[in-house]
Amino acid sequence: MTVRGVLVFVLCLGTLKVWSQGVLYEKMDEAYCGKPLLNYFKMLSDKESVRVFYKNEWIDHIIIPESNDAPLLEVLDQLFYATGLSYVLMDQSTIVVIKDPTQTINRKRLLEEAISKSKKIESLQIGRKGSTSNKQQYSITGLIVDAKTRSPLSYATINSGESMSSSSANEKGYFELMLTSGPNVLQISYVDYEEKLLDIEVNDDGELLIELEEKSVILDEVVISAQSLLEMATSKLGQIELNMNELKRAPTFLGETDLVKQVQNLPGVTTVGEAAAGFNVRGGGVDQNLILYDGLPVFNSSHLFGFFSAFNTDGIQNVSFYRGGIPAEYGGRTSSVMDIKTKNGDLEKWNYKAGIGMITTNLMADGPIRKGKSSLAASFRSTYSNWLVNAVRTDYADLSNSKVFFYDGSLKYSHILNEKTNISLSTYSSKDAFNLMGDSTYQWSNLLGSIKVNHTFSTYLSAEFTLGSSAYGYKVNNEDDLTASELAFKINTTVLKAHFNLQKASHNLAFGGQMIYYSLNPGSLEPTTAISNVRNFALNKQYAFENAFYFSDELQYSDQLFVEAGLRLPMFVALGPAEISTYSFGLPREPSTMTGSLHYKPMQPIRAYFGLEPRISARYMTGRSSSLKFGYNRMYQYMHLVTNTTAVTPIDIWQPSGYYFEPQRADQISMGYFVDFKEKKYGASVELYYKHLHNIIDFKDGANLVLNKNLEADLLQGKGKAYGIETSLSKNSGRLTGTTNYTYSRAFRTIGEINATGSINGGLQYPASFDQPHIMNIAWNYGLSKRYFFTGSFTYHTGRPVTIPLSAFSLENTTVAYFSARNQYRIPDYHRLDIALVIEGNHKKKANKGTWVFSIYNVYGRRNPYTIFFQNTAIGVPRPYQLSIIGTVFPSISYNMKF
Amino acid sequence: MDKKPTFSNGALFGIAWAIITSACVEPIEFLVPPADSQIVIEGMISDEEGPYYIKATKGIDINASSPKTTPIENLMITLYDDSGNSEEYVEFGPGEYRTNGLMKGTIGRSYHIKIETPDNRIFESIPDMLHPVGEIEEIKIEFEERKETKNGVLVPADVFNIFVDANVGELDMGYTRWRYKGTFKAKTVPELHMITSASYLPYKSPLPCSGYVMAAFVPGGRLLKVADCTCCECWGQHFEPVPQLSDVTLVSEGRFRNVKVGEVPINNRTFYEKYLVEIEQMSLSRMAFEFFRLIRSQKLGATSLFQPPSGEIQGNVRAINNNSSIIGIFWASSIKRRIKYIYPSDVPYLLTPWLILPENDSIKQFLYPDQAFYYYSQNVTRPCVEYFENATTVKPDVWE
Repeated sequence: MTVRGVLVFVLCLGTLKVWSQGVLYEKMDEAYCGKPLLNYFKMLSDKESVRVFYKNEWIDHIIIPESNDAPLLEVLDQLFYATGLSYVLMDQSTIVVIKDPTQTINRKRLLEEAISKSKKIESLQIGRKGSTSNKQQYSITGLIVDAKTRSPLSYATINSGESMSSSSANEKGYFELMLTSGPNVLQISYVDYEEKLLDIEVNDDGELLIELEEKSVILDEVVISAQSLLEMATSKLGQIELNMNELKRAPTFLGETDLVKQVQNLPGVTTVGEAAAGFNVRGGGVDQNLILYDGLPVFNSSHLFGFFSAFNTDGIQNVSFYRGGIPAEYGGRTSSVMDIKTKNGDLEKWNYKAGIGMITTNLMADGPIRKGKSSLAASFRSTYSNWLVNAVRTDYADLSNSKVFFYDGSLKYSHILNEKTNISLSTYSSKDAFNLMGDSTYQWSNLLGSIKVNHTFSTYLSAEFTLGSSAYGYKVNNEDDLTASELAFKINTTVLKAHFNLQKASHNLAFGGQMIYYSLNPGSLEPTTAISNVRNFALNKQYAFENAFYFSDELQYSDQLFVEAGLRLPMFVALGPAEISTYSFGLPREPSTMTGSLHYKPMQPIRAYFGLEPRISARYMTGRSSSLKFGYNRMYQYMHLVTNTTAVTPIDIWQPSGYYFEPQRADQISMGYFVDFKEKKYGASVELYYKHLHNIIDFKDGANLVLNKNLEADLLQGKGKAYGIETSLSKNSGRLTGTTNYTYSRAFRTIGEINATGSINGGLQYPASFDQPHIMNIAWNYGLSKRYFFTGSFTYHTGRPVTIPLSAFSLENTTVAYFSARNQYRIPDYHRLDIALVIEGNHKKKANKGTWVFSIYNVYGRRNPYTIFFQNTAIGVPRPYQLSIIGTVFPSISYNMKF
Repeated sequence: MDKKPTFSNGALFGIAWAIITSACVEPIEFLVPPADSQIVIEGMISDEEGPYYIKATKGIDINASSPKTTPIENLMITLYDDSGNSEEYVEFGPGEYRTNGLMKGTIGRSYHIKIETPDNRIFESIPDMLHPVGEIEEIKIEFEERKETKNGVLVPADVFNIFVDANVGELDMGYTRWRYKGTFKAKTVPELHMITSASYLPYKSPLPCSGYVMAAFVPGGRLLKVADCTCCECWGQHFEPVPQLSDVTLVSEGRFRNVKVGEVPINNRTFYEKYLVEIEQMSLSRMAFEFFRLIRSQKLGATSLFQPPSGEIQGNVRAINNNSSIIGIFWASSIKRRIKYIYPSDVPYLLTPWLILPENDSIKQFLYPDQAFYYYSQNVTRPCVEYFENATTVKPDVWE
């Protein structure tokens, strides 16, 4: 009898409404306890008065619990719970065992679909059939990895169960599911990886290692870049997984794929100007974004004074970006987290990639050192971009002798020690140098190195240990003979982190601790020629510890409610040696109120700050494909970027919290409604947020920040707030895919009391430098064929606030500019259209997998300002100018190939 | 194996080169209030004898080619102290007002002004207290050898650095300003002025103010003195480029030590005769200190891509019954002065004399062969006050 036949038969019988409770309350014969249910049913059938209808294969693995003195009704309820089985009593002597066919039908449909599409189906059996276990649900834990490199695939999607409900692996690629005994189908997917179907016979608890293979070509069913947009309703609040392959298909400036620019297209993320370094998230400064590269902080993420990000996308496995619902694992910045994980090398064979663009060349190689055991991945990128700035023509600035240079490179060695332990060594280096409009050469560099050990203690418990060090520094070399000098700044960071994951039932616990030691050289100046007029000068070094312990739990409370809650306990200690100036109590901090100084010995705590950072986010499924999400974060920030320039510059200073500078604190609350419709073909969302900031830093009018040994006298701390609404609409499949998002957001600062001395704008609220009320991004990807794509993007945002000279006046034989109050004017609005034609490699696997990208950046030649700067006029007062480096239509070509 | 793709760098660069050239630096315009709607007030009162002056001008457009200001006339300005005394200012020149010397600044008192325009707009300054100030104990000079690059060539640019040692005085916070002024006697030779014409050889044309004329009927053009020269001598002036303000980190035992207040460029023009250094040590209120600090910050700011924007400089004059924009300061200060002469003999090397000229008696002889006309740059044949920046023909009171 078919399953459908059984169901129809049962339903027909059910209509008779014959009800008898005689059999139900008969106590079970103790002799059958611990024995198969099948035996008991046979015994009942042997009695003439009881008839039992069932299919052997439905119940042949079910065992009656030991010591069972419950009546049969209760025993059957218990045994059939969550198995899809049920029963109907037709009369006092007839039991019909029935099975809901949904799961079977789904399984059959999925398998048939997969076969028709030639998808891979893997059949597995966990536990022996007819196992003595009497459970109806089994815990299946697993790890989803890249088949070649064994790199975990964070937040990969798993569909399972009767309704093929969606869940996801955690950040480390681990997952746990409760599956009903018997046959199950798991559908595992990850952007740009071949989907995998597992046809599993589950008879016991078990573990799975699921390997996904990267797609050799991108099919015409194109997905957009962010994994979470595919799962709008079920993804976590404020979290996005960026996909590198998709990024390479986007229109580019000079053929360079750019991670940070991709982030800038997300709702709630913006930038202050054309190609400006860094990005601003929900009213936060660029320093409020924690950028981690294999777990180590990166303090400057830009190349070429902000035109490109410092990360070669070829060497990156995946990027997790959080702007809300930030897990307790992360801390130290108040706006967002960008966690970049590099690629492991292929364990089986060597692969090579090369790319050439209009200003850079990049190379990537990865392969086994010892097959199946250890691998190496290396990437390198460098520039030949002098021609770019030399070509800028202007009557106002001489760029003809400008020079620019940068490189970045990464090297990663991965080794599988045993089934439970992996170890990896990762290094990254980048350097920039440019000389623009003058005798000064600006240089900055990042150098990072880390060792990471991943160990699986048990099915449920895994850990990752990281030890690493990073160095970021800049130098400004003045090459004029008489003033030849080198201005230097450096931050050294040492990080030790232990992170544990415990996955048990519906809980996914993460806990651990981290310790960061900072050593800063806040500034030094020394002459570089014998005839230089410059004198040696150095600010005292600064030292600090930032430690934190954290704990969080992801709980799938019910099918509808998912909650992630955590707590982070950070502690920051500024350490000696130091000499701290003191000031008259109750008076503004300035040189004239200085009273003396305090001296601290080496390692003597100057000031310690403790924090309590609750984090909570929740998702409530209001339907099968719609959800309400809510999140609250508190975050502290102890390292502050100090800048008073209109453009973010490579010579901005990082200042740790200490005697005077209290940690910044941000409290953010966000909530939104998210919906997928038409089988996730479309997704839409609306999200509201409000952020309150404490102890944000801004500079006094006329502040001089470089080589200032009393920075506390030139900086002020105050309050800030940001709020906004983010809307997004995406089309995720079909020939045309894309996203449109619009954000209305505001960001304000209030520094000092009203009309108080030392306040900014008289203590009144003023717009933050990155306050941009209207932001809109549109991105699309149209599959002309399986290899040809027409992609594009349009971006618009309100011009950012600036402070400008309004007029001039004459005073004591000199002419002085009269400036507006802080940030009371705005530069022109920014908008730009980019398009690209992407031609991907031949689908035949053996052919060269080259990809051509023909881009047109700034299609209609909008002159968006890169920066605003001032030059003195004939009467000796500053006048604002805008530098639009990309002030025209800008085509470019790049070619990347694998071999 | 498939054929590898080829790539032509040169072609791509060519395309880019052709297109990128429209990248640009251009002035950015903002819709701002007209500069001439801005009222600018500058004035002070001190504990020295009056009269005290106030200058009222209109703002200057940022794009103006000249710093020339437009005076604001017909204002009614009244000076008040905190004891109820007052005195009217009188306009003695366009936009320039002065008291009649009835009131004198007194240490410990606060002063403010009230301004009324002909259309009944009223402005008032926030009262500013006149604080005491310490004495300048010593003006010190220090020779510094320097070079600068001119047209790609290193040339000497030595200076005397001017330092002061001073008493802090009774100031609580030590808000002090040193106003520096350097004066030197200067000379030009307008009698040697020539006119250069494209179609003729240059011919002698002494400026009338030189007192010389061309002698008629004398071959070659001989000069005759007919009057005294009124534009040959002047007094060049150097002002501080930025206000010099106190820094308490330089205070030691109640004294400001080695406060650098100015620089004297060493050359044969500034040391034609001698150089007069005048320093005023002035007490400031915190408000005035902040005002001058912002001006200093703005003037010292470099003009580069990464220049920090300057802040709003407001001063202490406020509109009372209107919304007009006004910038300005009326401040009170106690002033102590000191002067010092620097002589050519203080320069550690011999300067080439400025304008070697024969005695007047022989000038006609000397000039007859015309060498002198060609010996000097024609620049120095301009009137003295035109040749030297900030020069005046008025001899300083303290010039000995």
